[in-house]
Amino acid sequence: MRILDVQHLQKSFGGLMAVKDLSFHVDQGEILGLIGPNGAGKTTVFNLIMGVLKPDSGTIRFKEKEITSWPTYQIVNAGVARVFQIARYFKHKNVYENIEISTIPNEVFAFKDAAHLHEKVMTCCECTGLCTCHEHTGHCNCCTQLPGMLPQGALRRLEVARAIGTDPDLLLLDEPFAGLSPQEVDEISHLITQLRQEGQTIVLIDHNMRGLMRLVDRVVVLCFGEKLMEGSPQEVSENPRVQEAYLAGGRV
Amino acid sequence: MSRKGIKYLLLLGLVALLTILPLIPGALNTKWMTTITFATYFAIFVLGWDILCGYTGQISFGHSFFVGASGYTSALLSLYFKWPIWATIPCGVLASLALGLLLSVPALRLRGPYFSLITLIMPLIAIKLVLIFSSITGGELGKSNIPAIPTPVPPCPSDAGPDVCRALFIQYQQYQYYYALGLMALVAIALLIISTSRIGKILEAIRDNEEAVEAAGINTAKFKILAFGISSFVVGLGGAFYVHYLETVLPQEVLSPTRSTEIIIASVLGGMGTIIGPLFGAYAVRLGQEGLREAANHIPALQFLNDWALFIFLALLIVLIFVARQGVLPALVGAPYLRKLKKFRKLGQQSVASKEVS
Ligand SMILES: Nc1ncnc2c1ncn2[C@@H]1O[C@H](COP(=O)(O)OP(=O)(O)OP(=O)(O)O)[C@@H](O)[C@H]1O
Ligand SMILES: [Mg+2]
Repeated sequence: MRILDVQHLQKSFGGLMAVKDLSFHVDQGEILGLIGPNGAGKTTVFNLIMGVLKPDSGTIRFKEKEITSWPTYQIVNAGVARVFQIARYFKHKNVYENIEISTIPNEVFAFKDAAHLHEKVMTCCECTGLCTCHEHTGHCNCCTQLPGMLPQGALRRLEVARAIGTDPDLLLLDEPFAGLSPQEVDEISHLITQLRQEGQTIVLIDHNMRGLMRLVDRVVVLCFGEKLMEGSPQEVSENPRVQEAYLAGGRV
Repeated sequence: MSRKGIKYLLLLGLVALLTILPLIPGALNTKWMTTITFATYFAIFVLGWDILCGYTGQISFGHSFFVGASGYTSALLSLYFKWPIWATIPCGVLASLALGLLLSVPALRLRGPYFSLITLIMPLIAIKLVLIFSSITGGELGKSNIPAIPTPVPPCPSDAGPDVCRALFIQYQQYQYYYALGLMALVAIALLIISTSRIGKILEAIRDNEEAVEAAGINTAKFKILAFGISSFVVGLGGAFYVHYLETVLPQEVLSPTRSTEIIIASVLGGMGTIIGPLFGAYAVRLGQEGLREAANHIPALQFLNDWALFIFLALLIVLIFVARQGVLPALVGAPYLRKLKKFRKLGQQSVASKEVS
C-alpha cells in the first residue's frame, strides 16, 4: 500500500527551481532512500511534505488523504514526523521534557491521564536507546540531562525520540549520519534497522549511497531538483548517470 | 522538593504573611495598608503579563492598555448607567479579553520588535481616545465618584466624632486590603496551576523553539491566542476591581506607559516565566519605592532621597538585572540548579565544538 504519494511536486525560490516536477511514492513498511548532491533539493522535499513550505504546484497524499498545504501540526497529527538535519531541541528543557512535548496532545483541555504520557515518554527514551530505564521504578538515567550536554550521537537519538513521540506512521530522517563518528553511525544505523523491524515506514536522506546501501529497500536520486532515477540500491549505485551527477555536483 | 512544590510553598508563605500582617497590632498603619493594597493590584497586572510575555517570550510594552480598557469600561458603565459593579466588572473584563484576542491576531504574524511596537502604541492610542472623548471620560482629570467595592462597614454617621470615623475608615481599608489579597491569591493559584500544566509547558517550549513545537504536532497559534486570552482576562479583572477600589479613573493611573514599564521591571526583576518570581518582584518594586520615600521623609540625613528615590531605585534595578539576569528570586532559590545548568551548557558547547573540529 502506498502510504505517501507525491505527484508533480514543484517549488522555486525566486529564479531557482529547487524541486522540479517530482513524483515518487513510499510503500507501507519500507525504507526509501532519498539521495542527491548538495543543494539537490532533498531538505526542500521534506519541508514541502511537512507543510513548512507551500508547493507551487503538485499534490502530496498521505494515507489516501491529500495533505498538500496543510499546516505542519495537522500533518504531524495525521502521522508524519521528521528529524531535522540540524537538531532543533528545546535547550532549556531536559531530555524528558523535550520528549514530553511530542507526546502532549494538541488540546487545551486534554484529560488523557498523566501516567499514560509518562509511559510514552519512557518508551521513546528506551526504544531509541537514549536511556536505560529501571524496570520497576520507571526511573531513567538520562532524563534530567539538558540536551546541550549530550554527545552528538545521543542528541540524534533524542531527535528521533522526539519524532517517535508523536506516534508517526511515516518517519522522515534528514541526514541522520551527518557529523557522527563511525561508531555513532553504526549505532544510529542499528537504531534505524530496529525501527524498521517494528514496522516503521521511513524516508532517509543522505548525501551518498555508502551509508545507505545496507539500510534502504529503494532509492530515489535527486539532482538539481529533478528525479534522476529510482531503483534498488544496487541499480542506483551502478548507474553511470548517477555517478556523473555526483561528479558534476562536485561530490563523489 | 520539586520546583513546582517550591512555587506553591512560596505563594502560600506570601499570602499567609499578607493575611496576618494587618492583624498584628501596630504592624501596619493605614498608609502602609493602602500601599500594600496598591501593590497587590499591581501584582495581579504583573501576573497577567508573565503568563503571556514571560512564558511565550513575546514582550508586551503596553500592558497598562488592558488595565485601562477594563477599568474605563467598568467605571463608565457604573457611573453613567448606574449598573451595579458586579455587572460592570464582568463587562470590563470582557472588553479587555476581546481586545486581547484582537491583539493576538497581529501578534501571530509579527515577530520581535514589530509586535513590541504595536503593544507600545496601544495604550498611547487609548490615552488619545480618552482625551478626545473627554466629555465622557473626564479627559486628563479623569472621573471620580466611581462606585466603590462595597464593604459591610457603614459610612461615618454625621454626628460621630473624628475617632469613630477614623476607626471606621481603618476598618474599611482593611476590607479593601483583603479583597485585593483574595483576588490576587485566586489569580496566582490559577496561574500557577496553568503554568505548571501542559499548557505552561507548551508555552515555554514555544519561547524556546516554536518550529519544534509545531513539529511536535501542536498548533502554536492556538496556544498563543490562549495565552493572550488568559493574560488580558487576568489584567482586565485586576484593572476593573482597581478603579472601583480607587473610586476614580485617571489616564495616568491606569493607562500610563510608566505603569507598563513597571510591570516589565517587576517581572524581569523577579524572574520572568516563573509566575512566582514576578509576583514577589511586584511587591519588591512597589514596597521598595515606597520604603525609600518613607525613609526620606523620616530621616533628615536621607532627605536627598526625595529627589533621588526613583533614580537610586532604577540604578539598583540595572545592577540587579545585570548580576542576576534570570531574575533575583530564581537566582536565590535555584542558584545551585542554575550553576549546574550553566556548566552543562558549557560542556555541551565544548563537545559540539570538538566535534566540529574533528
Ligand atoms: N527557504 C529557502 N529560500 C531560498 N532558497 C532555498 C530555501 N531552502 C532551500 N533553498 C535552496 O534550494 C536549493 C535546495 O536546497 P535543499 O536544502 O533542499 O538541498 P539539500 O539537497 O537538502 O542539500 P544538502 O545536502 O546541502 O542538505 C538550494 O540551492 C538552496 O539554496
Ligand atoms: Mg538538506
